[in-house]
Amino acid sequence: MTEHDSDEQHGFHRHGENAFIAQFSESEREVLTNLVEQILELLGERTDNHVDDPLAAMVGITTHDSPPEDEVLLRLLPNAYADQVDAAEFRRYTESTLRAKKYGHSMSMRITLKSSIDGIIEVDHDGANDWLGAMNDIRLALGVRLKVEQTSHEELELLAPDDPMRGVYAVYSWLGWLQESLILALMDEAI
Amino acid sequence: MVKIDDKIEEAIKEIFSGDKPWVTIVWDDPVNLMTYVTYVLMELFGYTKEKANQLMMKVHTEGKAVVSTGSREEMEHDVARLHEYGLWATLQRGDQAL
Repeated sequence: MTEHDSDEQHGFHRHGENAFIAQFSESEREVLTNLVEQILELLGERTDNHVDDPLAAMVGITTHDSPPEDEVLLRLLPNAYADQVDAAEFRRYTESTLRAKKYGHSMSMRITLKSSIDGIIEVDHDGANDWLGAMNDIRLALGVRLKVEQTSHEELELLAPDDPMRGVYAVYSWLGWLQESLILALMDEAI
Repeated sequence: MVKIDDKIEEAIKEIFSGDKPWVTIVWDDPVNLMTYVTYVLMELFGYTKEKANQLMMKVHTEGKAVVSTGSREEMEHDVARLHEYGLWATLQRGDQAL
């Protein structure tokens, strides 16, 4: 086993028919684990209160029919309709499923990170899709905090060295690069 | 011999797609990678790389694109799957002005 040089960027690459491999340094693995755990925590914060309605719990109806107030959660669990009444109705019947799916993606990513040996991550096609969904949720969350909607990349590149958002932007960019490497590996025809 | 012009063809189309007046729209988003949007459209809808790429470019340049058409239930299903992968999607009646 050769030592992984953290300055060298590898990202994911395809390994045969249905395997995608990447190797991370210890610090990279820590960053990824930390981020994915924060998403899990955030999704876990929005729980359903089914005390009054056990039947609703059984059929998966959420007690939420208004969008999340938190900006990040709102981006992760967006409205499906422009019309507020339709959006609320749709949310009532689908939000808990959407949260569960997202939780599943992030949990899958967390498990591969936790069980990796020497920082090597190997996922199959489904596992890769979990990683893509989870990495995307992390980037959406960081993007809201970085205000990428209103700020240009040039402005973000020019953040002062002591601005904590500079570090956040570096992580955000790195994640984009990592995500891209996995997408290209997936689109690359199997050999 | 029956002749069909564009108008008639459109009318016939409408008759057969009468139960499919809803559309799923994907909106431009500064976070989602262009390759990611293409990949998700291929993966979820089984679109070819070419078609998915065209739709992605439409989203990118025009701010939005209709990515699927069908019944309201079908479009709700599509929107839910797009949300699962973090794309910014909504559904609406197809005849509503975009």
